[in-house]
Amino acid sequence: MINCLDFRRRVGAEPAAADAELETHCRECPACARYQHELRAMDALIARALAIDTTRIRRHAAAGAPAPAARRQPRWLALAASLVIGLSIGLTLWISSARPSLAREVIGHVAHEPAAMSGVVPIAPTALAGVLDPDGTRLRPGLGDVTFAVRCVFEGRVVPHLVVRMPEGPVTVLLLRHRNVSAPVRLAEQGYAGVVLPAPRGSIAIVGQDRRDLDGVARQVFEAVDWGA
Amino acid sequence: MNRDDGGTYRRRRFGALCESLRPDLLRFAFWLGRDRQLAEDVVQEAMLRAWKSFESLEEEGKAKAWLLTIVRREFARSFERKRLEVADLDALVAAEADVLAVEQDAGLAEMREALFRLDDEYREPLVLQVLMGYSTREIADQMGLQQGAVLTRLFRARARLRHELGIAAEQSP
Repeated sequence: MINCLDFRRRVGAEPAAADAELETHCRECPACARYQHELRAMDALIARALAIDTTRIRRHAAAGAPAPAARRQPRWLALAASLVIGLSIGLTLWISSARPSLAREVIGHVAHEPAAMSGVVPIAPTALAGVLDPDGTRLRPGLGDVTFAVRCVFEGRVVPHLVVRMPEGPVTVLLLRHRNVSAPVRLAEQGYAGVVLPAPRGSIAIVGQDRRDLDGVARQVFEAVDWGA
Repeated sequence: MNRDDGGTYRRRRFGALCESLRPDLLRFAFWLGRDRQLAEDVVQEAMLRAWKSFESLEEEGKAKAWLLTIVRREFARSFERKRLEVADLDALVAAEADVLAVEQDAGLAEMREALFRLDDEYREPLVLQVLMGYSTREIADQMGLQQGAVLTRLFRARARLRHELGIAAEQSP
């Protein structure tokens, strides 16, 4: 038989606790029964309070802002940044130099799934949306058929991995919001050729199997991605 | 299964785990550090470490506890690296106001702010118990404490919340 103090010690630490001893005390002590009832109600409120909306955390982190007041960039600013970066691709691509770790990661990722490049059947728009929507990204129409779209782990992050069939051949696209690069990074390994470009949100890796007209292909892909506000 | 298939399968399994557990890990990290940028960074680093040692996860049923431990350790590393100090709770609450915001539920908003202001030593076991569904034994293992110490912290956490919210105080153990 426990007393009121012992009952409250146990229930105060674990309001959901229930055993014969606690139930017996509850039946005999209305004040302790009320106390337990209040604590259980409070725990329900605590659970709701702790379950914060994680999209608010992720939006903030994706924007990379130091303070809430400067958190979100206006849409026009993102568009302007996109245009400036797009125009500068042609000028800066030729001076790019390879970064071994990123190049190895990107090529290694593509080489792990060679079958992804061989698909010819366009995937359903809903399937593509399922891959892009979580990041608020969109692919503008006209680029080519998307024949592969999954969310993959890359450098510990889950990123959209697409394959687009273009007239120049299939091109793998990785949207790397978490990875910033200050200048284009060229990739050429294991028979693949590609480039990682700075993007309005992180960077974008574009990899094909033919290095001819890589710059033109990269420009088309880059301009087709809408990174959202 | 050839090497490529195995690698792809492994990546997909890990990706699926990350997708399903990431919201809870982010919440845990946020309540641990009370800073959304830090939470995102900590979870990001933790995922990277988890990926590197994914082979050591014996059962996927234990993935949540495994990842939570990694997040907790990564948070401790960040804390050590940055020597984080919380000098002004009001400023901290203001900085995270839009994460804490609750529309049309004053009671919930009040509780969220009270939790935010709770001392670390009380907030963490409460988050593990209420949000993560851990038993007091599991919390003790996670935090490296005796079970009795966990029970005391949980009792005091609730007592402080009741006090903050203007509910009658009870006898302390």
